[in-house]
Amino acid sequence: MKKTGLKKISNVLKRRIRNNALIRSSLGLIFLLAGFQSIAQITGTVNGDEGDVLPGVSVVVKGTTIGTTTDVNGKYSIAAPTNATLTYSFVGYIAQEVVVGNRSLINVSLVTDAAALEEVVVIGYGTVRKSQMTGAISTVKAKDITDLPLENTQQALQGRIAGVDVMQAGSKPGTQPRVVIRGRRSFSAGNDPLYVLDGIPLSTGTGDINPNDIASMEVLKDASATAIYGARGANGVILITSKRGTKGKPTVFYDAYYGASKAINIIDFMDGNQFAATKREAYRQANGTIPGDDLIFTAVELESIALGRSTDYINGLMQNGSKMNQQIGFAGGNDRSQFYMSLNYYKDNGIIPGQDYNRNVLRVNLDHQVSKTIKIGLSSFMNYSIRNGESFNPLGGAMRENPLGKPYNDDGTLNFLPTEDGLRSNPFSELVDGALVNQRKSNRIFAGIYAEWDILKNLKYRFNFGPDLRNDKYDNFQGTFTNARRLAPPAASTANGNVFNYTLENILSYDKTVFGNHKLNLTGVQSLQRDNTEFNSISVSGIPSEVQQYNSLGTASIIEGVSSSLSQWTILSYMGRLNYSINDKYLLTATMRTDGSSRFGRNTKWGYFPGAALAWNMSEESFIKSVPSIDLMKLRVSYGAIGNQGIAPYQTQGLLSQTQYNFGNSAAFGYAPGTIGNPDLKWETSTTANVGLDFSLFRGRIYGSLEYYNTNTKDLLLSRNLPTSTGFSLVTTNVGKTRNAGFEGTISTVNVAKSNGFKWSTDFTFFTNKEQIVELAKGKVDDIGNQWFIGQPLSVIFDYEQQGIWQTSEADLAASYGGLPGEIRVVDQNNDGAINADDRIIQGSGVPKFSGGITNRLSFKNFDFSAFIYARLGQSIRSNYHTSNNTLFGRYNNIDVDYWTPTNPVNKFPKPNQNQESPKWNSSMNIFDGSFVKIRNINLGYNFAENIANKLGMQSLRVYTSVQQPAIFSSFISKYGGSDPETDFDARLDGNVTPAVWSATFGLNVKF
Amino acid sequence: MVALLLVTLLTGQSCQDLLTEKVITDIGNDYINSPVGLEDAVKASYSYLRAYYAQEMGMTMMQMGTDTYTHGADGSYKKWDRYESNLDGRDNWVRTLWREYYKGINTCNAVIARGPNIKGINDATLKTRIAEAKALRAHFYFVLVQHYGGLDLRLTESEGPITAITRSSEEAVYTQILADYTAALPDLPATSGEWGRYTKLGVEAMLVKVHMARATRSFGGGSADFAKAEQYGKNVINNYGRALVTDFSELFQLGNDENSEAVFSIQFSYDLLTAGGYGNRWHLYYLMEYDTQPGMSRVLEVGRPWKRLRPTDYTYNIAFANRTDDARYEKSFYRSFYATRAGTFPTFLDKSKSAITVAIGDTAIYMPGWEMPAAERAKRPYQVYTPSMYQEKQFAVLGKWLDPLRASINEVRGGRDFMITRLGDIYLNVAECLIKQGKAGEAVNYINPVRKRAAYAGHQNAMEITADQATMDFIMDERARELLGEGHRWTDLKRWGKLVERVKMYNTNGSVNIKDVHNYRPIPQEQIDLVDGGNANFPQNPGY
Repeated sequence: MKKTGLKKISNVLKRRIRNNALIRSSLGLIFLLAGFQSIAQITGTVNGDEGDVLPGVSVVVKGTTIGTTTDVNGKYSIAAPTNATLTYSFVGYIAQEVVVGNRSLINVSLVTDAAALEEVVVIGYGTVRKSQMTGAISTVKAKDITDLPLENTQQALQGRIAGVDVMQAGSKPGTQPRVVIRGRRSFSAGNDPLYVLDGIPLSTGTGDINPNDIASMEVLKDASATAIYGARGANGVILITSKRGTKGKPTVFYDAYYGASKAINIIDFMDGNQFAATKREAYRQANGTIPGDDLIFTAVELESIALGRSTDYINGLMQNGSKMNQQIGFAGGNDRSQFYMSLNYYKDNGIIPGQDYNRNVLRVNLDHQVSKTIKIGLSSFMNYSIRNGESFNPLGGAMRENPLGKPYNDDGTLNFLPTEDGLRSNPFSELVDGALVNQRKSNRIFAGIYAEWDILKNLKYRFNFGPDLRNDKYDNFQGTFTNARRLAPPAASTANGNVFNYTLENILSYDKTVFGNHKLNLTGVQSLQRDNTEFNSISVSGIPSEVQQYNSLGTASIIEGVSSSLSQWTILSYMGRLNYSINDKYLLTATMRTDGSSRFGRNTKWGYFPGAALAWNMSEESFIKSVPSIDLMKLRVSYGAIGNQGIAPYQTQGLLSQTQYNFGNSAAFGYAPGTIGNPDLKWETSTTANVGLDFSLFRGRIYGSLEYYNTNTKDLLLSRNLPTSTGFSLVTTNVGKTRNAGFEGTISTVNVAKSNGFKWSTDFTFFTNKEQIVELAKGKVDDIGNQWFIGQPLSVIFDYEQQGIWQTSEADLAASYGGLPGEIRVVDQNNDGAINADDRIIQGSGVPKFSGGITNRLSFKNFDFSAFIYARLGQSIRSNYHTSNNTLFGRYNNIDVDYWTPTNPVNKFPKPNQNQESPKWNSSMNIFDGSFVKIRNINLGYNFAENIANKLGMQSLRVYTSVQQPAIFSSFISKYGGSDPETDFDARLDGNVTPAVWSATFGLNVKF
Repeated sequence: MVALLLVTLLTGQSCQDLLTEKVITDIGNDYINSPVGLEDAVKASYSYLRAYYAQEMGMTMMQMGTDTYTHGADGSYKKWDRYESNLDGRDNWVRTLWREYYKGINTCNAVIARGPNIKGINDATLKTRIAEAKALRAHFYFVLVQHYGGLDLRLTESEGPITAITRSSEEAVYTQILADYTAALPDLPATSGEWGRYTKLGVEAMLVKVHMARATRSFGGGSADFAKAEQYGKNVINNYGRALVTDFSELFQLGNDENSEAVFSIQFSYDLLTAGGYGNRWHLYYLMEYDTQPGMSRVLEVGRPWKRLRPTDYTYNIAFANRTDDARYEKSFYRSFYATRAGTFPTFLDKSKSAITVAIGDTAIYMPGWEMPAAERAKRPYQVYTPSMYQEKQFAVLGKWLDPLRASINEVRGGRDFMITRLGDIYLNVAECLIKQGKAGEAVNYINPVRKRAAYAGHQNAMEITADQATMDFIMDERARELLGEGHRWTDLKRWGKLVERVKMYNTNGSVNIKDVHNYRPIPQEQIDLVDGGNANFPQNPGY
């Protein structure tokens, strides 16, 4: 198998080499430098370490682009100066350099590169060589992050790691995409993975981390890998390791990009004429006549119709966005101390005025060898970010605004009330500087401090202390000329959230080789994490002067609300892990963790989470070792239980709620029973079985992993509904079960690797997860009230099914259902002659049937090119554009739909009607197929040759340009004129989302 | 070791203590066992009243689908007017009323059970507070039983998740309501220092209502109940120093919430901190779309038009047919809209002229409530909207609830009190009880004071009726005139057994689907689904 495979490849290579001969030689001439004294013709054969000849090996004169490849017999011939060095390289082998000297025949034997397989992978509380890995762990490396203009850590995972869903609707600057690993397990305990930064579990997200500071991200997916984080591992764990300094000459690096962005696929709204036609239709009487315009339109609308005036508020409001990132860093060190420092500035100006985000991060990582046995270090960052427009979007107002208004007065100033409508105001007024502020300022200080002590040769102690301090200040101001206030005195609010979280850990590890080839590693951890969250807010109205904004709340005439709160939780954990391997062939990992959580009841505070994994390196067995095409074949199985404590604190307690009343003019605040406590609350437990196969074939030409898993979650922390006559609606209990089973794969191939430097490789990831509810509070019985169904994903679209529109010929049947021709017809599922709640059915869910990504990378000489395509298929969405912006009411502007009229008997969108705020059964027409394929990124880079970079005083210089999301393919767009269908699992596409963008970026990476 | 040291330094606690959860921000359930906690629990019990009264829920359940009001252009609850098939146990209001009032009941149960064990509280105060809780519990049950019929008769505080629940008979619920009100009566002050608390006056007024409602039930006492209601009603009128206000307009004058006629009111104020998200919202629902009309824009003086409710033709043409002697049409309806924009505007509904020219403050729209001829309208420099022009967006506007004192134009939380009952209502109730007992002659004495008060000056005598005119049919029309839009109509129609008949007769939207089963609302489906045994133990009302 190996022989024929290689032969084919080498034939292909040979053909390509011929074709490229001319280019090669001309390029060779250009770069031929004067220092070459005499040129000799050198020939030889290249062998592998198993004695076989190697065709297609690249032979290059070092420091030039002169090169060739070995032929089908492993032979080569190259002209090179006598003082030159030849570099021999081939996929899967360690490159070799040979000084030519006076020889004309140079035979070389290349050694298999085991290091590619011996990459070190970060696991919980330690590292492991890749070949010794027993769990399902995937990695993203720094290069995948730095080479592209990424905004946050989550983006680096999208489509690149099988089993990981990264979801973001729209493009609001500063939005943190949602990450879900292997589906959702829990209704109320959260499905977000645990992020661990340099060993410290994070409680307030990763948004403040500068992605360029990341050395690697490891995603732990199965129970064996995550059991080490027992208490919080149920949703998977993402380990983030930041870059550290290395010994040697200090380097200074500068990375920057700048890009411009533009909205992509905006939904089309009506212009003045279309709106007028719709409004007339909305006034059509029962007898079919439409009254005169004077009985339909208001004065300003009549004026606009007469003048042909129509205002496009949406495009008038939208702008070109821009993204900018700059980072300067220093790294280096000596034998005893190493450092890494970086300063990053990132700014995203959105496509909607008033929506922007900027982030400033300073990172300092230090390592210092205090003595022979003691090492200390620091991993820290400080962040200051400002986000505007987090919870405000003027686009919604622009989409609703009647296009027949008068946005400007005759003198050119803004007309605050362009129409007579009592709820609307000019969307442009909200863009006036200072009219509206919606801002969040965040500060964060994170410091991971460690000390390591080599107590004995094999015994190591490590101490971690990780304080994490975050402060968020939310400021809001709404001036008089905003839609929210609509000429009322200004209102403002300010809120402060303060989180102090710290982790303390003691880790002991013992490493020893016993009985010759038996390797033993023992790890013990004691860990404590405590979180203190404080919050306070005040909201007022009647600010005397607009210039005060939110800075002088005391001067307001009305206090609308004041609040503050404190919430605390603690986790105390003990963990032990055993890694045992025989001959690197048979590997065992066993873990046991116990966690105590303050959130649970006295008797159920502690949870116990065991895990075990076995791996078999088949390729170490002689019967496979003799198959040369197999470099690695490893089978893994694991089984383990992990916990989820993700409920809010204080759920075990019965608490009172404050109530408001007054007697005459005196306030009468009271307290009433608010929640039923449940002292028996305990951990939600997920048990995962995982089977995985790691493989590498044809000397690394094809490699990857395949996984199958089945996760059963029980004792769900479920807000169980109570009969409301008890005075309570909910109690949090441990009931119900869910299951997630799936198949996922990561396959990388090196398709072409030629001596002239042309290389084409492909990374392909895919996964398919079946998420389902197995049991609920009443066993295997659907909970229709909560729209939870046995055998279905955790959230589904459950609604009436649109059958079409009642047509004129169906008037009698329509009437029997209380409908009229032109109204939405929904399916009478139970044929009882009436439409009621029993006629709702499940119509898909936001959970995709298949997700995946393909990255193609090409490199040729100094150019590198990559294209990343991402797909999510089989999910449904609810487009709220098609409900909230499709009222066909004749009052607000509408998306430009083909609605029913007596002469246009279409079957999707109903007739306009002035006497209803929205069409009856309108939610049945917002359900669409949400499948999409996106070209996420196309990137072209150029690495300047070392000597040119050197001449510019640099070690290296790379420039690149990239296009993000140039195209989205989806039936929602092509068939229904929709927008970007990407949503969270809840399938809700907000009708006021900031539209998705495409952007073009130019960037450079410099090292000094 | 180092870590343990740091833990101790940072927290001053041992490791095990760290896992003990201490409630700091919130207040634990034991608080109610203290004197101040009990006071707060009683205050909390009152707050639940607001979930229904003066909200869209109450507006929908008390006024829609009656003979006097039908739906306007807007809103998601037209099914309550049309009695459509999707008005079932999953409806939002069906579920919300049940849920919120049982929260109130649970709070009252806590007060009633825990009160006697609380140390350090003045005996007299304790007695009053427990009596208030009993009256409130009766009140919640009374609202619920009128809508739903038989209930979960829950008289103890819920501790822990309870699902073993059965449905009591409607009769048992009425028995309990009467027991609670009569037990509360002796322990309450005649009138209270704090306006809005339950007093003897309030309880006696509610006993009028409860006995009247029970009288017409199959298990009810008929004349005996009417006699009791009559007695309580007379007590209300005679024993508490209350009096009908002189002029009908004073009843809904701004700032006159505590008028001499108010008997028991749900409390609201303009201090939004005490609004708790509610506020009196009825200013929204009866207002027509005036703000898009020529010369008009939305202004605080008028309000925010949600156009949920518009009067039926019965209201215009039958109930308020007499506009010569009876001033109540003029005093109930808001009839003149004043221009807020200057200029010349094409006319909208009044085509007796093609345009009007107005200055700010001029009359822009006048709505006389009768069919003014085109020639007469043409003479006026403003538009005149007459009943024949009315449609779902433009119709006669009930002015009783308009609230220009709200903080801003689009603020929904109003500050007016909501009178659950007033003396005018009790007069007519007593008259009804007397008619039911065949004492029409005496009933006249309770009808004429109300009618004379409603008369235009000099027309008092024309308003008086005689014993032969004092019939139930007269009472039905009189209550429509006197109490239009005040939230009595649906329960009145139900009590009279006239819901189906009169909706079929007068409400064209409701007439298509209404049936006898609509005298009860559906039981919330979630209640049935979540109790042990489901529908067998907690049966749905017939027809749903």
